[in-house]
Amino acid sequence: MARREYDVIVIGAGFGGPVAAKKCADAGLRTLMLERSENPGEKVISGLTIPVYGFLFGPSFIRDGNPPIERPVDGIRNYVIYDVKSGDIEIVELRIPRPVSPIIAFGYNAYCKPFCTWEAQQAVRAGAELLTCTTVVDVIKNDGRIEGVVTEKGEEIGAKIVINCEGSQGLLAIKAGVREKYPPQAISLADTYDYECPREVIDEVFGHSLRFCWAFDEQKLAPPLGHGNGLMSWPYKNSIHWMQDQCLAFNDGQVPNLRRLFDEYHENITGQLPWWRDEIAPRVRLRARMWEGFGIYVGLDDRLRNMPNYTHGMILAGDVAGLESTGLCDGVPTAWFSAEIAADTAIEAISANDTSAAFLERYERRIRAHRIIQWAITCRGRWNLRKAQESHDRKDLKSKINYQFGPGILTHAGTPLVNGILSAVRKNPLVLKKWVRMFLRYYNCWENDCADQETIEDGRKKRRSLALDLLILDAMVILFSPVNWILACLLEPLSGVVNPLVRFLLPLIELALRAGIKMEPLFKPVTRWTIDYVKGADPEILVSGSSERSRGRPRKSRASLS
Amino acid sequence: MARTSDRYPGVEWVGDTGVFIHIDDKKCTGCGNCIKVCLGRCFEVERKLARIRSLAECMECASCWYVCGEGAISFRWPPGGAGYRSDWG
Repeated sequence: MARREYDVIVIGAGFGGPVAAKKCADAGLRTLMLERSENPGEKVISGLTIPVYGFLFGPSFIRDGNPPIERPVDGIRNYVIYDVKSGDIEIVELRIPRPVSPIIAFGYNAYCKPFCTWEAQQAVRAGAELLTCTTVVDVIKNDGRIEGVVTEKGEEIGAKIVINCEGSQGLLAIKAGVREKYPPQAISLADTYDYECPREVIDEVFGHSLRFCWAFDEQKLAPPLGHGNGLMSWPYKNSIHWMQDQCLAFNDGQVPNLRRLFDEYHENITGQLPWWRDEIAPRVRLRARMWEGFGIYVGLDDRLRNMPNYTHGMILAGDVAGLESTGLCDGVPTAWFSAEIAADTAIEAISANDTSAAFLERYERRIRAHRIIQWAITCRGRWNLRKAQESHDRKDLKSKINYQFGPGILTHAGTPLVNGILSAVRKNPLVLKKWVRMFLRYYNCWENDCADQETIEDGRKKRRSLALDLLILDAMVILFSPVNWILACLLEPLSGVVNPLVRFLLPLIELALRAGIKMEPLFKPVTRWTIDYVKGADPEILVSGSSERSRGRPRKSRASLS
Repeated sequence: MARTSDRYPGVEWVGDTGVFIHIDDKKCTGCGNCIKVCLGRCFEVERKLARIRSLAECMECASCWYVCGEGAISFRWPPGGAGYRSDWG
């Protein structure tokens, strides 16, 4: 039987794979996506807030689409637990005040399976082929060049280039000789629980904020903070996601007994932490427990970070390339960014008829030049929490939590994020239109349970059209776009001053955020009106661009037409 | 037919995974690291050597493979469509 041949094979239909596959298919390349599970995302386990920068600067089809989200997030409420029995607990909060939030969100919570499935559907609609229930076990190598893959059934499938998005274990990347196995010190095991909970309870207790817990080791509440970890809970629409995670090995190589620790700590914290014990525990039902390993500390090790992410005929993107965020413990935005860069590189390589490592080296250069990726993978904020454990100093603990999960995050995230905004506006001043629509549409679709085109068609009945409002918005953006473009060009080179400036102004910023939260009751009518205004809109009108309105109809790829 | 576990609700195991984790007795020192990190209780130590107890509750996290300092554990993915799956990850 003749070997099937493609231009591009994408391994993995998690968060990154479909992004690469869609971009390649959009460029007219014959693209095959291989996924080992039966449905995309059903083997992906994570407590998941996708930070907003992933949506703002990531793939346009996600920003302009209606992915299934579980709840917009307005911030993080950290519980710094010094002594749970005496109630010695402090709160460090980072939150966008009302009425700006929850429409303007800090991020979006999601379940992996529906989100990855939605992404894969977009790639298929663009013309990519998706083959599920297929495990790739090896690569086809010819004279040192990767020319395709071998499935577990022994089928050989040829490709000019392979984009590998297989996930952090990297079994194929290791087999292909691209990178080494990561050491256990770089891996965190995440023990995840999913609780069903009525929406009104979540609205009342959590609102739109994540809740993180941190404690000194002797409290036995959150996994040993001495090793840089904590406990996180995410409010979803009708459920609460709960996760504790811990490195597989300490710096000295010692392996903690996680089987015992996780059970003990879960029992302690759910039974002792007052707000969980009194407000949540009586009203929830455990629906699922699962776990997964994440390579979240890979970026902090110079040697691991500098391992190549490409070889002759293959590019690694997302977790397999060690691109998980060490600070926010999240890998989705970096998977999206790197998958887009990988697809761009693959398209150029195929166009130049050169898929050699020398040509693909530009992928590595682009990853290293990407400010948000580099900030995400090298941020030491969470890792440094272990130093507070060593010093056992409560001020030190609180200040380190504030630095990574409180307002202090702006002192290191400011420059890359402002740079990202200015760079996007410089490239296209009209992107502002799309960002505003995205926030409105995501909130609207979340409230109205209409996450895709088909349900939007139902959801739009008897809804208020925002056509005139959006026309005014568009006119304003177009009117100011020359000014915005000039400002972006002038300010982008100066974005490096944002971090030092925020460090200097941090006390004032913290004061303003606190004042904003204190004054929320005054803005209650405005908040109510804003939410009703967005919730009551016809979601169809919020879709960016006329081309988006045809998303419901599958179309043939250019490759298949040629 | 999908299998479930009382200990780990919300997860199903489907298909025939076969044995996708192997232990090389010549390299194993019986240190027990694989047991410590395996939440699915897949391992046990017998006569100072680790052995697979059951892969029925394995979620393919590969933690055993990461922590085996001697390289005695080899890990590969189960065949396509087999193994654990969940709607709640």
